[in-house]
This record gives sequence, C-alpha cells and structure tokens, in this order.
Amino acid sequence: MPRQANAVDFWRGFALVSIFVNHIPGIWFERLTHRNFSISDSAELFVFLAGWSLGLLASSRSAATNSALLVFRLGGRAVTIYAAQILISSIALALLASAAYAFDNPLILEWHNAAAIFQDPALTHIGLVLLSHHLGYFDILPLYVVLMLTAPAIAMLDRFARPALLPLSFALYFAALMVPFTARTWPVEGQWFFNPFTWQTMFVLGFVLSRDIGVGAIVRRHIDGIRIAALPLVAVTALMVVWNWFPDPTALPEPKLLILNGKSFLTPIRLLQFLALIAVFSAMYGVFAPYVPWLTEFLSSLGRNSLNVFCVASVLSLLGQIIRYRYAGSFIVDALVVFVGISLLWVTATVSEWRERQKSQV
Amino acid sequence: MGLGALLAAAQLASRAPAALAQTDSQLPTVSKECGEIAAAATPLPHGAAALRDRKQLRILAIGASSASMLGGSRDTMPLLEQILERSIKGLDVEVINRGVSGELAAAAAERLKIEVALNHPDVILWQVGTNDAFAQVPVEDFETTVKDMLQWLRKHNVDAILIGLHYMKQLATHEHYQAIRASLRRIVAAEGVLRIGRYESSEILARTLREEGHPEPSTFGLNEGGYNCMAQYLARAIAVGLFAKPPAQPTP
Repeated sequence: MPRQANAVDFWRGFALVSIFVNHIPGIWFERLTHRNFSISDSAELFVFLAGWSLGLLASSRSAATNSALLVFRLGGRAVTIYAAQILISSIALALLASAAYAFDNPLILEWHNAAAIFQDPALTHIGLVLLSHHLGYFDILPLYVVLMLTAPAIAMLDRFARPALLPLSFALYFAALMVPFTARTWPVEGQWFFNPFTWQTMFVLGFVLSRDIGVGAIVRRHIDGIRIAALPLVAVTALMVVWNWFPDPTALPEPKLLILNGKSFLTPIRLLQFLALIAVFSAMYGVFAPYVPWLTEFLSSLGRNSLNVFCVASVLSLLGQIIRYRYAGSFIVDALVVFVGISLLWVTATVSEWRERQKSQV
Repeated sequence: MGLGALLAAAQLASRAPAALAQTDSQLPTVSKECGEIAAAATPLPHGAAALRDRKQLRILAIGASSASMLGGSRDTMPLLEQILERSIKGLDVEVINRGVSGELAAAAAERLKIEVALNHPDVILWQVGTNDAFAQVPVEDFETTVKDMLQWLRKHNVDAILIGLHYMKQLATHEHYQAIRASLRRIVAAEGVLRIGRYESSEILARTLREEGHPEPSTFGLNEGGYNCMAQYLARAIAVGLFAKPPAQPTP
C-alpha cells in the first residue's frame, strides 16, 4: 500500500506541478506559480525535499544499524537518477528531431542546447554521458545525481561527526560564492545552471532539518517563534518580487554574490527567503489538508512517485512547448496543455503505485 | 531607416577603416560564401574606450544559443576572439559565454544584470527574439524587456550588439515570428544599437542562390559554417564600431 498523504509528499507534488508549468516558457499559467511572489521557486523546494528524503532514509531503522547497507542504497539511488537523466535527455532529443522534421523547421534542433548534439554528436554524446552537457530545462537531475553521489559522505558525516556536517557544507557554499567557482560544462563552454557547490547546502539543510536530532530538533522546538520571525521576511520579499525592488547588482559591494539575487549560485537571499517560506508554509498543510482531501491525495501521490513524475513532467513540458509553437499558444491551447499534462502526471503516479503493488504481491 | 540615418551609417563605415589603418590594424574580412551582413556601422564607445585605455576588450555573450555566435572549433579559442585579435594589433579580447539555451528575453535580461556586475564586460552580444517568437511572448512585453535592458546597459557604460532572428523560408509567413522580428527592428531604431541582421542577409543569400539555380540550404546558418560566418560578421561589426567616431551632435 502506498503511504498515506503527508506534508512532505504534498509539497513535493506541488513542486513537481510548478516545475512542469514553469518549464513551458510563455504559457499563461506560468503567472500563477509561486515564483511570481517568491524569490525562491520550485527548484529550491525540489532539492530541499530531496535532502529531506535522504534524512528520513538515513534515520530509518535498517539504515541506522547498517552503514554499508545505507551507502549501497544511496549509491543505487544515484545510479537510478543518472539513468533517468540519460533516458529523458534521449527522449527530448528525439522529440526535438521529430518536431523539426514534422514542421520542416531545423531551428527546433537548436532549442535548449540541443544544437551541439546534432552538429557535433561525437563529443557532445560523451558530454551527455559525463553529465557535462545538459539540455536546457533538463539540468536539475545532473545536480541531483551529484548530490546523491555525495549522499553517502553526508550520511556518514552525520553518523560519525554530526557537528561538522553543516559547517562544512556552509564553508563550501561561502567559498563558492566568494571566490567564486562553479562546475563547467563541456564540450560547449559554459557553466552548470545549478552550481553544485552552492546548491549542496540546500540538500544538506533538507537532510539536517528532517532529523529529530541536532539542528532539526532545535528548529522543531522553536518553530512557532521562527514562523513569527519568518512572516515579515516572506511578505517583504514577495513585495520585492512583485514590484521588482532589487538593488542594482553593479552598485553592490564585493563579493557581490553574497548580496545579489541569483538562482545559479543559490545566493544567500534566496536561501534565507526559502527557509522563511517553508517555515511559514509548513504550517499551512495541517490547516487546509482536511478541507481539500482530493487535492492533498492528488499532490501527495505525485510526490510519492517523484522521480517518475519528474521525468514525465520534463518530457511533457518540452512537448507542451512544441504544441504551443505549432498551435500559436492561446489561452485555450495553454489550458489544454496544462490540463492534459497534469492528468498524465497523475496517470504516471497511479501506474507507478500499481506496479509497486504488483511487485510486492509477487 | 531614413536617408539621414543611411548617410550617417555610410559615413561611419567609411571612416572606420581609415582609423583602423592608423593603428596598423585592418578591418576583418568576411569570407565570400558568408555573403554580406545587414548591419549599420554603429559606434561602440565603451568598447573603444576599453581598447584605448586597457588594450583589452571584454565581450559577454548571452542569449538563446550564444555558442553559435562565437564560431570556431572546440579546441581553439572562439573564432570571434581570434579574428579580432588578429585584426586589431595589440588588442587582447576575452569572450565570456553565458548563454542559456532556450531562455526568453525576460529571463536573460534578469541574468544579464548579474553577469554585468560580476564580469564587467565592455560589449554585450545578445542573441534575442527566436525563443520569444516560438514561445508566443506578447510583442509589447518583448519590446519593453529588451528596451529596458538596453537602456540599463547604456546607463552602465556597456555597449550592446543584438543578434537578430534566424532566417528560415518556412518562417516567412509565421505571424508571431515576423512580429517579433519587426519589433526588434523598432527597438534598434529607437535605441540606436547595433543589430546583426542575419535574417536579411540569409534571405538575400537564399534569393541569390535561387536565382543562380542552386538549391537553397534547408538549414540556413545552423551548422559550423554558419556559426563561423556569424563570428566573422560580428568581428567586422565590432571592429567598425570600435573605430567609428560617433556622429557629430547637431548644434542647437
């Protein structure tokens, strides 16, 4: 039986739907996602909850008693995510090629960093396999793979040197911001969209805050006070986003990345705002869940099957872009794309759970 | 473009090679197979100041498919950098590629401010319009975004060069694509920035090929040869812009 609806799965489902919509640039419904009112967006939520899940796994009874088993499971998870990235990238390339042929428009082959694959396939295929070449909007799973590869180290640090985990993570975070440095792409010269050296902190924070011990325990004890303190920050930053009240980045003192708002480097303002946002909104689930059980169950089912749903959402987002190009995106087209897309995400989650049930019965 | 503007452009283009020759440099050539490019000679005052003061030019490429503007093979420095350094004696060119494929103008503009703050470029190469056209971004929104960004760049002493939309015969009747293209031309006229009009150039090249009885390539400019042509167009336009004197201000 799938686990019951809960806040973590619900918010992960929420992040997946937001990612699906936000990855269709220009679609009407884009204006309804929370990034229009928040400095951070669904990417932060997705990575934070990935860290949270890792924390839950690391504290499970079997993992707690057997470190080797935990490392093995985490390594296996990294391989699964890697395989998913290769699969969805291949499907995306086939979709782009099909659309280019179907609509007699070779420009489509240039979408989303795909040009290098079609023009320099030998080197770029190596880049795809090495995760040094990412298609546009297919760039969060490479980050997830790297984070999961570091997950055994995170879990072992937590087990054997817990006080060092968060300071080490923040040391790397601030070093990456102040030097600054990031991961490079190859063979097309550039940078990873999600800097793994800074985004690891979001993952580690998810891990640490999921636990009932250490920092997680302290936060739980003081959550009411934290929420009160976080509320003005959420409100002010919402106004900053709506009215575009951001300082001119050229006028900021060095090191600028400590102050400005940048997604690639997950700058401190984004990190802080995200933490404030989840402090406030984590209280909401318990309030509205009883009144909208269908929504709770729906989003939780997506969240329970997050990797499968994420993969299908990524491919459907690209398909949505192609449909909008072909049918000159009107509100009706946009509504159909979103409705059919979200329905297919639900089908994905349902089929995934049906398969799990079948496996458990064998 | 009005007659006055055309005359001014012609005057600038004729002055630039002479100024280049004085520095023992030469105007980069564009190979014959690339054809001519539609780009009025537009001064790049901040790039020129960097050349004069530091003998260094920092170029930041942003937009949908920035790698396609820079040209060259994977193992060498971008062709644009090579041509400029070869043509302008003593000039050290640094090209920074910050393109994110598939990005719309609004997202690129937001990121561009950060990139300007972090990298302090003298010249921005912004490939803009194609993704917005495909994503059906309303023309007014697109125009406001690009105009605001160009004004911001001017205020921050950065020259901008816009690389316009691709030419595709199949897109000649695509309503929104053509609307975004027209909008870009309006922006360029209003803001007085340099635009590399590859659509017009490719269109002329296609017409010439047709008239000469040659088949028109189905993938216009979307290959290494096309990218190298773009790098050559850009190098020439930048060299002209660096040495072109701004038109004299009319006396009141």
